[in-house]
Amino acid sequence: MKFNPSLTARLRIGFLVLFALLLIVSLLGVGRLFQIRVNYENDITRYFQLELQSERLRSAFILEQAAARPATAHQTPSQAELDQAAASFSSAASDARNETDGDSVLTAKLNHLVVSEAAWRKAVAEPLIHEKVPPPAVDRRLTSAVTNSGEDLANDTPAARDSARNSARTDTRNTTILVAAGLGGALLAALILFSGLINSMRAPLGRLVEGARRLAGGDLRTRVEVGGPVEIASLGRAFNEMANSLERDARERDRVEQMKDDFVLTVSHELRTPVTVVKGFAEMLTDQRKSLNSRQFEAAEVIAESAGQLQKMINDLLDLARSDAGKLRIEPEPTPVRPLAQRIGRQMRPNFETKDQRFTVAVEKDLPDIQADAGRIGQVLANLLTNANKYAPEGSEVQLAATQVGDEVQFAVSDTGPGLDEDQLDHVFDRFWRADSSESQSVGGTGLGLAIAKSLVELHGGAISANSSPGEGATFRFVLPIAKDGRPKPKTPAKTKAGAAG
Amino acid sequence: MTRLLVADDSETVLLMLQRRLEMEGYEVVTATDGVEALDRLKELGSQEPDVILLDAMMPNKSGTEVLEEIRGKGSKIPIVMISAHLDAQEPERMRKLGANDIVPKPFEWEDLIDKIEELADGDG
Repeated sequence: MKFNPSLTARLRIGFLVLFALLLIVSLLGVGRLFQIRVNYENDITRYFQLELQSERLRSAFILEQAAARPATAHQTPSQAELDQAAASFSSAASDARNETDGDSVLTAKLNHLVVSEAAWRKAVAEPLIHEKVPPPAVDRRLTSAVTNSGEDLANDTPAARDSARNSARTDTRNTTILVAAGLGGALLAALILFSGLINSMRAPLGRLVEGARRLAGGDLRTRVEVGGPVEIASLGRAFNEMANSLERDARERDRVEQMKDDFVLTVSHELRTPVTVVKGFAEMLTDQRKSLNSRQFEAAEVIAESAGQLQKMINDLLDLARSDAGKLRIEPEPTPVRPLAQRIGRQMRPNFETKDQRFTVAVEKDLPDIQADAGRIGQVLANLLTNANKYAPEGSEVQLAATQVGDEVQFAVSDTGPGLDEDQLDHVFDRFWRADSSESQSVGGTGLGLAIAKSLVELHGGAISANSSPGEGATFRFVLPIAKDGRPKPKTPAKTKAGAAG
Repeated sequence: MTRLLVADDSETVLLMLQRRLEMEGYEVVTATDGVEALDRLKELGSQEPDVILLDAMMPNKSGTEVLEEIRGKGSKIPIVMISAHLDAQEPERMRKLGANDIVPKPFEWEDLIDKIEELADGDG
């Protein structure tokens, strides 16, 4: 398994490593500096001691010389004094040896002094004590050898002291630099660690943000690649679970929607057969008026009319259900506008005459053919005209007009009825909606006509709209595309209005 | 007298059609499915109907299959299909198979009578 520590573990590890590094570097640095200081102090003390001992050595040698060679004639060389001075010399040499311990140059110089002194005592002092004068050349050589090496030792000690000071200074500086470098390195390591941590979060977080945007945009198949620290990875998994659940819900919703569509489709279809039979037999009875009494005839007429309404309602419902299920099919073909408008006008005219409404059909001259399913567009026009017929009061005017607008033909059904306010216009194409719910009884109809008209126009690739203001009547307009092989008409926009008004 | 062969799987619809068509003065022979329709046609022999009305959807043998079979035998009897139009391609397919006319279901009575008259006259 891949090592993938959690965010908190990463932070803890990061801080721990940083703290340990800083502590180690600091302790080592401080320890080293302390050690350098102690060593330096020891060295200084030692060198001062050595200086002192070298003075003692020189003094002892002077005493030895004095004992072996008295300054005045009446004094005689004294063996006792010589021995005493030699003991003092030897003691000083021993003390000095303790101090030169470890310093090879000074040790060598000290040894040279001791050896020279021993040689001098044997070849010069001892003969003088026994009153035998050594050859002056030997005397001079050996004496100066001792003196010179004594001075040599005395001179070298301060030099060694200076060198110790310099070395301590250099060591201190180097240690300080090393500690600073160590601290810097530890901070750099921490920086790399934390930036690694941030980088390890950045890519998965970026994917999550991108995924959330896509999901919000409606792409329910969006999933993110799970990665990064444990917390980010579990956030990614939670995101994917959420997306799964959303997709499942959407699928379930689609399924229920589908079931509803299928249900309405099936029910409307199944209702049609019995309604057809009821309507057929009722109509047959009304045809046999002579053999029925007036009440029986009235009953037969009501049954036939109600069955007709029921049949229309079922057809409307079926159309809408098909439209929802995407099964409402049209067969658009090049269709001349004038015969279509006239046929629907003829069909609707009795309804307007019943309500004493003035009904006019105005089709612009030389309109090109439209690309439409004549039956379906006839249905749209009939629905719009039925609507106007129902809602406009007696004595008002209703007009069906067709004009060319750009490369489309616009149909307009207008009335001089009470009109609709803005709120009503928003709902006018809703199913089962009525301008006034109290009208549902008096006006009749299914409340589906405009909804179906909208579906059908949109299925043709057209658009439908309603314009109105209260008290000024209402106009429903829809446009349909001109057939590709329809006769194109030279554009005369000025004539359009005149034609429509006529 | 104009003779009609009417086939519909719904007995009530069939009865309604029979009674109303009889009232209009036609002689009506009925069948409740496609197989029966073909049997009736065979029984009638030389007294073949002037117009045949076929419901598109019927058990055993659909109206479309009956149409195909009759035209397959070379018969030119006018045939009106009554179709619920569940499929947009259906009317075109029926015309290709030789249907003289198609009446969408539900139909207006006058439309149906007009179409029958037209075909019966044309044949006569």
